[in-house]
Amino acid sequence: MSKVKIGIPKALLYTYYISFWKPFFKKLGMEVVIPGNTNKQMVDIGVKNSVSEICVPIKVYIGHTLNLLEKNVDYIFVPRFESIRKNRFFCPKFMGLPDMIKHGVKKVKDKLLSCSIKTETDDISDYRNYLSLLNKLDVTEKEVKNAAVYASEKWNKFRSYNKMGYTAVEANQMVEKDVSVKDSKQFEHNSNIKIGLMGYVYNLYDDFISMDITSKLRDMGIDFITFDMMEEKELEESIAHMHKKLFWTFSNKVLGAGYKLFHSDSIDGIIHVTAFGCGPDSFLGKLFELESDKTGVPFMTIRIDEHTGNNHLQTRIEAFIDMLKRKKSNAVS
Amino acid sequence: MKVTFPYMGPVVGYKKLFELLGFDVVVPPRPTQKTIDLGAKHSPEFACFPFKVLMGSYIEACNMGAEMVVSSGGHGPCRAGFYGEVHERVLHSLGYDVDVVIFDEPFLDFKNFWNSIKKVKQNNSIYKTLKSVLLVYKIIQNMDKYEKIIHRISPYEVKKGSCNKAWRLIQDQYDNVYNRKDLKKANASCQEIIETIEYNQVEEKEKVKIGIIGEIYVVMESSINMEIEKMLNKLGCETERSQYLSGWIDYNMIPGKGQEEKEVLKLGEKYIDIIIGGHAKQTVGHIVDFKEKGFDGIIHLKPFACLPELVTESIIPNISDEIKMPVLTLSLDEQTGTANNSTRVEAFVDMLRRKKVSKHSA
Repeated sequence: MSKVKIGIPKALLYTYYISFWKPFFKKLGMEVVIPGNTNKQMVDIGVKNSVSEICVPIKVYIGHTLNLLEKNVDYIFVPRFESIRKNRFFCPKFMGLPDMIKHGVKKVKDKLLSCSIKTETDDISDYRNYLSLLNKLDVTEKEVKNAAVYASEKWNKFRSYNKMGYTAVEANQMVEKDVSVKDSKQFEHNSNIKIGLMGYVYNLYDDFISMDITSKLRDMGIDFITFDMMEEKELEESIAHMHKKLFWTFSNKVLGAGYKLFHSDSIDGIIHVTAFGCGPDSFLGKLFELESDKTGVPFMTIRIDEHTGNNHLQTRIEAFIDMLKRKKSNAVS
Repeated sequence: MKVTFPYMGPVVGYKKLFELLGFDVVVPPRPTQKTIDLGAKHSPEFACFPFKVLMGSYIEACNMGAEMVVSSGGHGPCRAGFYGEVHERVLHSLGYDVDVVIFDEPFLDFKNFWNSIKKVKQNNSIYKTLKSVLLVYKIIQNMDKYEKIIHRISPYEVKKGSCNKAWRLIQDQYDNVYNRKDLKKANASCQEIIETIEYNQVEEKEKVKIGIIGEIYVVMESSINMEIEKMLNKLGCETERSQYLSGWIDYNMIPGKGQEEKEVLKLGEKYIDIIIGGHAKQTVGHIVDFKEKGFDGIIHLKPFACLPELVTESIIPNISDEIKMPVLTLSLDEQTGTANNSTRVEAFVDMLRRKKVSKHSA
């Protein structure tokens, strides 16, 4: 008997949770199918099948879903992220994602595999979140429990690599290939410029929509830190002073990372990568701007969408980095 | 202390409340192009449209001397709950020394809620505060009742403009209410005003009824939604909104009340499983509800890039197909040219009318 094929779109929180989902479904005896990296074709299909105003990460997600459909998968896994912190939520588009896919992308309807994720920490391995899958996948509660424990270990490994300073993409690869940690990263400390690279995993690490900003920075010899490289606790502490925090967990993480870096001496500037029309970021960005005014730390916003002109990004990053370098050398002399 | 508030719907209610509590009230001017421009200039580029209008309103009110802004908050996941935080920061960065008081859900942060209450209650006793709140609630309830009637009969009025005039008079009546006796008097005279409006009796099959649904601010505030209800009334359509202030109060503030909204939510369950913020689930529920009430079409209003309403918009084509209900979605933002949208609305109404005629002649 051939294995059940589960498709997981390589979009939205994929980068953050794939080290959990992949081993989880594999352990349950399924085959996991993942579309290739986002490409122009996928984005175009996504754009055609979604509401014009919606943000590009959702369009990409829909593009991936339709791509999976062509790959003849049995199910497409579209989790509903409700909450991973008490009284905190996700952007409404995450919370209504399965509804949006079910009613908006009709072809997917029969293959939709969804469950609600509600936890109080980043760790989403509580098996009870996945019990609604039992019938469809024909597995037992005990199997799900075991798979969740097994996958949770992998995911925790991913987080620990990630926090050492590897990007989430690199950390995922390390878990997947089971390579041991090299003691020090080759790219570290060879640059005297270090920046904070703020943004959600699905913007920063999708080479197509961010136009591969991470490699661009590495090629220029720039060291950077992202929110996923930092300890969750640190992030929460740095926004503890706010009497009302943002409502969206990942926005709070980025905000926490940003606030921390604005007040740290170890970085020279901050780049915020955000998607056109991102609701949470419209406020997050403003808070960053105000903080930049207050602290004098150079700050740049890069807004991405489905357009693909590459040069402007290169130019803007180079100009920003040149400015940081000049500022630094002026300060020394 | 000079106090101001967001301009949403008939503002007589809020004005009254603060007057009764002994405040100097600065009623913000009805939003105009100037308000919107001012707001857009000082807001984050991708903040939603209501945020920008409120920003403009607050700045105008501050220029008129307001020292305190009172508004409601929320705890997500819709952005609206965070408005106050950003408004306050922007107002302060512009140099306005103004206190932004936000009412949040009491259960999550009671201390904060109580502080807000204290600021608004001033030296009034709790009894007097509650009494004032209750009176204002009654006023709002009655005004909503009459507004509904106005928009139902306005397309058939004999003398053009008589409904608008009546609505203005009704607002004035309630503006002069200071106690229960006044309220009774106002109710009676408003009833009379309504009854004296002359209108033609129209056969059911010739009526075109349109439900207006969507995000609460753009649905309720006519100055920024191209006065959609008036526009439709002029085109000969009856209208009813999904949101009225009294309904909002019932559902959000009075435990045990708001049964109607709960039923609407149930109707929306099939399409959106959980509450995802804003009025997304209500919006889909209202489509089904209006269908059941025998309406002919729906106009769905949303601010540009509104998070919850984008989810609704993605689902609407499917609902529309399933229950055979025509829906027109209009996205509103600071571009206030109406030609484009009014053409779309007119075409939509023409279509509904033709559909109705052909149905009845067949």
